[in-house]
Order: sequence, then C-alpha cells, then structure tokens
Amino acid sequence: MLVRIRAEYSIGPELRFLSNLDTMHMMERALRRAKIPFALTEGFNPHIRLSMGTVLPVGLWGKKEYFDLELAQAMPLDELRDKLNQVLPAGARIEQVRPIDDNAPSLMKAVNCAAYGFLIRMPEEDISNICQNILKSDSLPVRSRGKKKGVDKDLRRGIYKLDLQPSDECFCLMIWVGTGEPLNIRYDELLDLLQQQGVPSEAILDVFREGNYIRVNERLYSPLEG
Amino acid sequence: MKDKLFREILPRVSKPIRYTGNELNIIKKDWDKSRVKMVFAFPDVYEVGMSHIGGRILYGLINETTDHVLERCFAPWPDMEKIMREEGIPLYSLESYRPLTDFEVVGFSLQYELSATNILNMLDLAGIPVFSHQRTDEHPLILGGGPVAFNPEPFSDFFDLFMIGDGEEALPELLDEVERVRNLPRKEKLLRLAQMEGIYVPFLYKVTYNSDGCLSSMEPVHPDVPGRVRKRIVADLDTAYYPDKPILPYMTVVHDRAVLEVMRGCQRGCRFCHAGMVYRPVRERSLETLRRQARAQLGNTGYEEISLASLSTLDYTGVHPLVKGLVEEHGAQGVGVALPSLRVDAFSIDLANEVQKVRKTTLTLAPEAGTQRLRDVINKNVSEQQLFEAVEAAFKSGWLSIKLYFMIGLPTETEEDLDGILNLLQEVKRIGDQYSPRPVEVRASIACFVPKAHTPFQWQPQDSIEVLQQKINYMTRRRRKGIKLSFHDSRVSYLEGLIARGDRRLGQVIYKAWQNGAVFDGWSEYFHFEYWQKALAEAGIDPDFYVTRPRSYEELLPWDFIDSGISKAFLRHENEKALRGETTLDCRLEDCTGCGVCPSFEVEVDLRGEIAGAH
Repeated sequence: MLVRIRAEYSIGPELRFLSNLDTMHMMERALRRAKIPFALTEGFNPHIRLSMGTVLPVGLWGKKEYFDLELAQAMPLDELRDKLNQVLPAGARIEQVRPIDDNAPSLMKAVNCAAYGFLIRMPEEDISNICQNILKSDSLPVRSRGKKKGVDKDLRRGIYKLDLQPSDECFCLMIWVGTGEPLNIRYDELLDLLQQQGVPSEAILDVFREGNYIRVNERLYSPLEG
Repeated sequence: MKDKLFREILPRVSKPIRYTGNELNIIKKDWDKSRVKMVFAFPDVYEVGMSHIGGRILYGLINETTDHVLERCFAPWPDMEKIMREEGIPLYSLESYRPLTDFEVVGFSLQYELSATNILNMLDLAGIPVFSHQRTDEHPLILGGGPVAFNPEPFSDFFDLFMIGDGEEALPELLDEVERVRNLPRKEKLLRLAQMEGIYVPFLYKVTYNSDGCLSSMEPVHPDVPGRVRKRIVADLDTAYYPDKPILPYMTVVHDRAVLEVMRGCQRGCRFCHAGMVYRPVRERSLETLRRQARAQLGNTGYEEISLASLSTLDYTGVHPLVKGLVEEHGAQGVGVALPSLRVDAFSIDLANEVQKVRKTTLTLAPEAGTQRLRDVINKNVSEQQLFEAVEAAFKSGWLSIKLYFMIGLPTETEEDLDGILNLLQEVKRIGDQYSPRPVEVRASIACFVPKAHTPFQWQPQDSIEVLQQKINYMTRRRRKGIKLSFHDSRVSYLEGLIARGDRRLGQVIYKAWQNGAVFDGWSEYFHFEYWQKALAEAGIDPDFYVTRPRSYEELLPWDFIDSGISKAFLRHENEKALRGETTLDCRLEDCTGCGVCPSFEVEVDLRGEIAGAH
C-alpha cells in the first residue's frame, strides 16, 4: 500500500552550487539516515521512489522547492519532516509535508509558474523605471538560453507580475514567470532581460527562486494543494 | 575571500561544489585550541581525492582522536586555477578556507607517479617554494606519504620529508614530534624528525653515481640518521582506527559508497604487484568489527552501496559470512554490496547470488595474462577452467556486464600470449551469449606493464613505446566483434615507468615538465607528452636508462634504502622462478615463502575468519 506525499523544502545560499542530481542524492541519503519507510522500485537496481519535481538551477538558492515521495508504509508527516531535518545538512530544510492524491498530476506537469528574486543595488528611480518599462512593453525579445539555441523568445507573455521592495540598502525585485509548457522562462533569460533594460551585471548581488506555483486563471496555488 | 569566491568566482567554473566544502560530517575544529595544524593535500581533483580511503582514515584519525587538526585541499581544475591566479586567490583548505601557508604541515598523498606536476602546481598556487632547499622557517613542512613514497627519490627535491608505510600510528606520532621541535630552525627540525622510524628526510642523504650512470652510494650525512628507512606498519588492524562518519560529498565522486577495509596486505605473491609486496603481511579485520563499522557508516551517511575494499577481497577468510550478513541486515533498505575486482579462483556461485539479491554492479575479474604459461610467470595462479566457471556462474545469476583486466608487455611475452587474451575474451562472450537471457557486455581494459620498485620484476625492462604500440595495433586488428578493448596510453605508461624506478636526478625533469605546462598528466585531455620530452632534453636525461634498460642484480637501486620488510634475495629468487615459469604458493595456505616480512617486523599473518579453502 503505497502512500504518496509531497514535500516543500528550501535550499540555502551555502548549497546554491548543488546540481539537481546532487540534491537528489542528498535527499536520498537523508531519507536513509532518518530511516524513513520509503518505497523502492522493483528490479535489479532498486532505488527510492523519489521524484525531484522542481529543478533549482545551479547557482540559485530557493525557498520553496518540491519533491514527491512514495512511502511503503504510512507515518505521521510532521514526524517525517522533523526526522529529515535532524539529519539534513545545514542549508537544506523540509518546510512542509502533505499527503497527495494517487491521481494528482506529477510536479513536472502541475507546476507552471515560478517567482525569481533579484537583489539589485541601484537608485530607486532607475530600477522603478525599468520595471515600468517592462510592464509597458508589448514584446521583450531575449535570446533563448534553453535547448532551442539561436532563437529569440518573447518574454513578455510569460511575465505575470513584478514587485519591487526595498531590502537593506538595495531592492529586491520579484518576477513571476511561466515555467514548463507552453512558455518556459529561465532565470538567466530574465538576467539578460534586466541587462538589456539597463541593469549593470555588477548591480545584481543575488538571485534566488522565491517559489514554485500552480497558476490557474491568474491565481496562484501551492503545489502542496495538489 | 569566501564571499568573493561564492559571488564572483565559483559561478564561472565547472562543478563549483568541488571548492565549497561544508559537506555533511565535515569536522571543523577550533583553530586556536588545536595543536599542530596540518592540511591533507591530494594531488588530484576533488572527485578523485574524496574517493581515496587513506584520506578518510587520516582525516578521522587526526581530527577525532587527537588535538591536532587536519583539513583538506585538492587540486583545482584548470579553469578554476586560471581564475585563482588571475584574482590572486591562494590555494585554501575546505574546512576553514585558510591558505595552505597558515598550516605547519602540508601532507601530499602520493598515489600515482604522474601526480608529480600537480604537486608542484599546488605548492606554487599556495605560494610555497617548490624546491625544499628554498623553504624557510616561515613555510610549512612538506610531507609525502602513500605507496609511491616507497620510491621517493624522483620527488626528493620537492619534499622536506616522507612518511613510509601505514599512517595510523606514524602520523599522530609525527605531529606530536613536530610540536616538540616547533621552535628549532628548519634544518635541525628535520634532523630530529629524521630519527623517527619510517621518516625519510632527503637532504640528509648524499647520493653518488658511477660512470655508467647507476647509483654508487647513498649514505646519511649525519650519524643520528638511519642508513635504511624502515616502513611503519600497524600490527593489529582490527583495533586500528577506522572512520565511522566519513565526509559525505555533495557531488558524485568516483567511489560514492561506504567502504569497509576488510584487510590490508596480500600474500598471493603476484610478481608484478607493488602493493602486494609493500603492504605485507596480511592483516584482517574481524567479522564483528566490520559489521559494526558497516552499521555505523551506513547510519551516518545513508549511502546506498557498501563496498569491501582490499587488495584481494575474496581472500578475506570471512568474506562469505560477511557478505551474507550485510545483505541480510541492509538489503531491505535497498543497500547493495559492491565487490571490487575479484580473484577468479575464489569466486563462488554463493557469493554471486548473495550480492545479486540486491543490486547488480559490473563484475570485474583480473586474469592479467592470456595464457597459463604467462600467468605462471607472473604468479597469478588462475586457470582457464576457473575463469570460465566463474563467468558462467555470473551470467547465469543475471550479471550482464563483465570487465576483465589484462596487461601487455609482461616479461617473456610472445604473440601467443596476446592471442591468448583475445581467445579468452571470445570464450567469455560465447559463454555469456549462451547463458544469459539478455545481450551481455564484455569489456577488457588492457594496461601496459610497468615494472615497479620492491617487486621481483624490478630488474625487468619495460617494453618501449614502439613495441607496446605494435602490440596494441596487433590486438586491435584482431579484435572480435562485440568485445570492447580499451588500452592505456603507452606514452603515459612510459612516464610512469620513468618515475616508478627513477632516482633524484629526475627532479629537474619533473620541474621542467611542469614549467613547460604539464599538469593533470593522468587525464588524457591534459596530457602532453611533448612537455616531458622537452624537459628530458633540457635536463640532458636519457629516459630509456630508467625505463627500458634491464638492470643487473649487482646494481644499487635508488629505493634499496627503503626497507619494506621483504628481502632483496627473495625478490631475486622470485624473478628467477618467473623466468623458469615456476609458481610460488600463498603463504596463508601453504608453507612460508621466506619473504622476510614477518620476522623482520615481529608480526604474523593475521587472519580473523575461517580459511575459505583453496580451490
């Protein structure tokens, strides 16, 4: 009787250079150390039924990332979260764990929106103008950084919202974009856009992913809601 | 510096987590409260260095059981090195991000002859003069250890001292002594350290040469310094320290698993094998100790695989119950047991089935030579029947991938022996096709024989590059379908041979090769034979003198002053037997072969399980 659960976790700045594979191994090993009753696949090379649904790009830290896990037997999910946090290295933390319906779509299919945060040191007026310019534009062509090389992508359609907040002596610019299908906007394409718009690269002090979401009819839902 | 690294530098390099540290189980001690500060410098990239068991042992040993501190440092990949030089970032330790010059001792593990240029490069990146004689009291002591230190001479220009043999007792002792002599001037410090058993300080010995180029003498220049340096050994391996909480790397390293060192030493007596000679006598760990260590390691890491490491794991007298026990205890969590390269004759169907219950890894076997005649010459006591039985058992149990190790360039080798390799492989494939339900993969990795110091073959010439290349071409042309052959680069093997049996005069060659740009010589994408050829020419050295020249029994060899416990007479006797095609048996199962190591160290072969029974 397999129990399907979904976990929300964070990766702090000290672990920003881990690749997805590294993060997956880290979680697998933590699951074993914490003696979580995970389910294994059948066959000659059994592995843990862990699915790293959201892929945090190398170089970014993230507040709300997600993975799905199948358990071989049920256990209280608060206990699962606490046990894992006891063994995880500093910088990785499970925030929440919820059960998920067997029929719920996979994270890869369901998650279609991400919010990226950029820590920018620039005069308020300049960065404000840039934000307004982005929102006013009809199209924002940027060279694609994904698999389709050499083609331009129009980012405008995929930018849902901008928010600028003061942060210490800088500003934190949050940009909500579409991910997955049909339009996938990457953080490095957003960096290119910002540079195009006049933000010097030295002015960008940090980049992180604030969260991953399921966007339906302009409303954002947490992937934990299934 | 850490901030600058994270923000500006690491995003620009490949695999930045090689350089960030902060792994699970890392040990960060209070710097000011620690006594001697040492950094363990591994002269290769992180992924390779973190797979090295010796490093894990010393790291835990010093940090957990002493008040000294041991931090780690690895060779930066060329892209990172370039940026470090541009930005003025010195080579730093992963625990505290301190430059190596903050430490009192920098210890390099000499695992491979061609890590020489990486060592010079790392010293240079650390701002430490590469030549020993250029260092002053403000520089750390540069220490070398590991198997290649059994012939330390080619490296003697660059190291202040070497530690020969097992480190479990010697290193803490050395660090205690380093603390005691801390305030002495450098040369006196080294003189005191040279009096410790197992420590070799090059500048305290004078070497002279004959007109024919061979060594004439090697003598200490001070009465308190020993004429021969005797290796250190840990007599009771079962009670020796072994780490329960190894550092867990984030990135994928070469050996991503928990490792149990089931025993040290090997007494099979394969005549080409350096490790088999210098790590004698055999000392095993007990089953209870190993099971306890397995539980602790898996509990502290969460690894999905555990491996049994030693020179000849199937010779461990408790291997069957150990494997059975590990599978029973940990298999349900999906943890697999990995067996490294296996001796063909001790292979058993039972064992195969135990391991295959959980997960399959590639099965590796090492026949080494293609005909019985040649196997007898090198004393690898394996028959064809045993090999085919083992292979059949493996394929029937579900293994789909088999890798076989061979060497070419062995003494007395003929074309028949090369054909023998190909025939063996073909038969293995045929057996696979017959017994396996799915297509099988048969691969052969073929190395070029490099004669090593302290072995019976230390007097043998190595095949020249031309001859090796001819043999490689011969075999490649006759390769059968469906069998993958991969060959080591004969030019790399040539340089390995140069350093493996070299003397002090090669220091200039290594230095010049590094100046010409040689680095990461063991990696094909960075290997440039021309840098070495140029260095040899500049230094006026004929490499064939070291590599392809047959040596006489009367010659004083550059490593004779290192006492491995094995008598030179024994080695010579074994070489003679080899040329007659006579085998020597395993001293655990038959009579003592008289190598000399047990009486020399007042130890015995130490077995902890039931004898597995010779086949």
